[in-house]
Amino acid sequence: MNAKKQTNEVAAYKPHSWQTALEFRAMWAVLALGIVLPFLVSKPLATEIMIYALFALAFNLLLGHTGMISFGHAGYLGVGSYAGAMVVFYGGVGVWVSLLAAMAGGALVAAVVGLLAVKRKGAYFAMISLAIAQMLYFLALSPFKRWTEGEDSLKLPPLSVDFPFHLNLSDQTQLYFFVFVIVALAVLAQWRLLNSPFGHALKGIRENEDRIRACGFNITRIKFLSIIYSGLFSGLAGGLLAIYLGAASVTTLFWMTSGVVVMQTVLGGTHTFMGPFIGTMVFLYLRNNISNYTDRWEMWVGAMFMALILLFPEGIWGTVMQKIGERRRPSAS
Amino acid sequence: MLLQTNGVCKYFGGLKAVDQVDFSIEQGKLKSIIGPNGAGKTTFFNLVSGLYKPTHGQVTFQGKDVSHASMNERSQLGITKTYQITSIFPRLSVFENVRLSAQSRVSMFNSWRKAYSYSAMNNRTMEILEHVGLADQQGRTASELSHGEKRYLEIGIALATEPTILLLDEPTAGMSPAETVEATHLIRKLSNELKLTIILIEHDISVVMGISDEVMVLHEGKKLAEDTPEKISANETVQNVYLGKGAEPCSR
Amino acid sequence: MELSWEIILMQVIMGLALGAIYVLLASGLSIIFGLLDVLNFAHGTFYMLGAYATFVAISLCGNFWVGIIAAVVIVSLIGALFEMTLLKRLYGTDQIYPLLMCFGLSIFLPDIIKMIFGLVGKVVDYPSLLQGATFVDNLILPKYRIFLVVLMAVVLLALYLFMKKTSIGMIIRAATRDRLMVNCLGINVSRVWTVGFMLGVGLAALAGAVAAPMVQTIPNMGDEMTIEAFVVVVIGGLGSLGGAALGGLILGQVVSFVSLLAPDWSNVSIFLTMALILVLRPRGLFGEEGRD
Repeated sequence: MNAKKQTNEVAAYKPHSWQTALEFRAMWAVLALGIVLPFLVSKPLATEIMIYALFALAFNLLLGHTGMISFGHAGYLGVGSYAGAMVVFYGGVGVWVSLLAAMAGGALVAAVVGLLAVKRKGAYFAMISLAIAQMLYFLALSPFKRWTEGEDSLKLPPLSVDFPFHLNLSDQTQLYFFVFVIVALAVLAQWRLLNSPFGHALKGIRENEDRIRACGFNITRIKFLSIIYSGLFSGLAGGLLAIYLGAASVTTLFWMTSGVVVMQTVLGGTHTFMGPFIGTMVFLYLRNNISNYTDRWEMWVGAMFMALILLFPEGIWGTVMQKIGERRRPSAS
Repeated sequence: MLLQTNGVCKYFGGLKAVDQVDFSIEQGKLKSIIGPNGAGKTTFFNLVSGLYKPTHGQVTFQGKDVSHASMNERSQLGITKTYQITSIFPRLSVFENVRLSAQSRVSMFNSWRKAYSYSAMNNRTMEILEHVGLADQQGRTASELSHGEKRYLEIGIALATEPTILLLDEPTAGMSPAETVEATHLIRKLSNELKLTIILIEHDISVVMGISDEVMVLHEGKKLAEDTPEKISANETVQNVYLGKGAEPCSR
Repeated sequence: MELSWEIILMQVIMGLALGAIYVLLASGLSIIFGLLDVLNFAHGTFYMLGAYATFVAISLCGNFWVGIIAAVVIVSLIGALFEMTLLKRLYGTDQIYPLLMCFGLSIFLPDIIKMIFGLVGKVVDYPSLLQGATFVDNLILPKYRIFLVVLMAVVLLALYLFMKKTSIGMIIRAATRDRLMVNCLGINVSRVWTVGFMLGVGLAALAGAVAAPMVQTIPNMGDEMTIEAFVVVVIGGLGSLGGAALGGLILGQVVSFVSLLAPDWSNVSIFLTMALILVLRPRGLFGEEGRD
């Protein structure tokens, strides 16, 4: 066959599935929403949503995309938070360096978890990741109190950004947009990641781990890299959290933080790209409002979550995509 | 010799699944392994593909000892196998099934470039789909293919890894007689056109005798005979053990 | 600080008592995981329920022993109810869904308990029989702690006999190895699972019940115990009951001595132990291949 025919054939196929196209549009829609979010809800809530949504996306990189259950993500968020705060508190560096340190912190913890547990399956990996995160919590609380201030939190001075232009991060609006831009860039980076050769390899692992190993992919190394990326983005969220809170707090390392991100992600849809983001928005919005009416937030959340698992395991966005997929099927050949 | 095994054994506790088998195959040849159920064909296969490591003996490929190399390492060296029970990527498109396999030779870790931007890889994928006759189905979800088509996809995925030696595990399993004839032709065609070295496990004697350069017969883990198809079908011991007494020698 | 033999022996005994709690918890977790392939994230919640049920039972009938037995039975039944109505529907799906269901329960139930009983810790008294200590030479042997060690030994022996000698036990062991086969033999696997879950949860409840006089009985007392039970099972090796027992004993000793020598590190020591063992034996002490 001649070369020209080949090129035409290559051009003719549509490699991207309708799901990819839809997620792409959803991503831009959510980011557009982000621009007006601080005017729809309170600015602190909007900032929290952005930070935790990034965290949830980072978490889902491991859960939904690589198929590894992690119950220790609080470790990445928390260490990122402390790393970012400590370089500012002890080293007097600026915000950008702080965020870099936060990412490094998250990636470092991820590397440790990966070295100990990357080859272990589901439940085992979940337990080890949880244990390591909890260990970090106790370390920050007591033995390392000298550096972390333990329960009193490591408080930061008012922060500002000087490059590329000046931002006063004590101002809620400026803080929000600073966080928003960074989160948006991170989201776009994750999109690139998932559509890269590495991202496609992840999909192959999810679809048929045995086969893709037989094709020559080094599964262990790919999973390890995935853990690192997850820790990196989580660390970034942690760094932003420290800036937002003006402090690094031990509660960030507590296992409940891991539990919450799991719930937010599953609420949105773990088998999608934007699901975790959407789930976080809904979760935090609900928590903010329901907490005003009742002390029993945990009871409601627990009950709702159990119902969710039974009735809509694919989550909000996941179920929407599922329904769209079902409606498309009659028209497909 | 492209690949050979020397006294290779695989024992599972007391069970000698493969016992002292010497095997060799030259570049470009098509060699089949036959034998009754439980003869150790699949175990032997897995010793070559890397799923099992030998209890004793060696597997040598291109002069190198690969006995303890892992499956993905052997795949990268050029030893690729297909599966007896179809193992594809069900929810991905036919195109992506093969492309993903081809990607194993290009990049596993690049986290920035768009996966579909490697035009050479895309072209190669379409070439392979042409070879196995699935080019017009490239957009379909793999799980929607017919059984026979899935077996072809299975071969396509294997081809995409640019194998030096291809291990086909009962490629015609579950196919209708007509499909089996087609598949047989395809395998021989691949061997000739792509100069592939192929090792084949088959139950269907007609497939084997029709296309093989050489045949090895296994029985209870041991090698019974290794020769051209004609000589094998005329071999009385083989006839007794496998074909049954009084069977007619098969003709090409 | 001077470490006399008496002090060391005391710590060993305290460690054994603590280990007993861990062993009870971890055995239950291991059984549930081995049989159902479910990581029971609500294990600590059932431990907590065991403690509260003991409190209620003793308040009603005044007798410690009756109270404990009643508590274990009631909580086991609650566990069975949970398994039959909610958990069972998720078997066979992605491994994460049963796990998440248990997790949801672990958030839901403590809040219910908080609503009913409030945040203030409930007090469960030591039974009069076991109050105080016996004195042997220079040794002070707290009676209750000794009781715990004895209880652990009895329970482990009972479990061993149950698993190896009774038909139900054999079925559970078989179903742990090969569910399909057991089903084909005409045994109602579904019921086996419920029994297994009840057994696992019952052990957790027993741990909570006997721990009640020693610890603060508060709604969230179970959360940390879930994590610690996980650590014990990871140390012992997934799928190994013996490993869970050994892991529990080791952890009990570690915590006991670290609490004495470097109390700041007592919580961390649990996880450091786990990390150390994982580095030396990645599958845990008795971990089986293919189980992880």
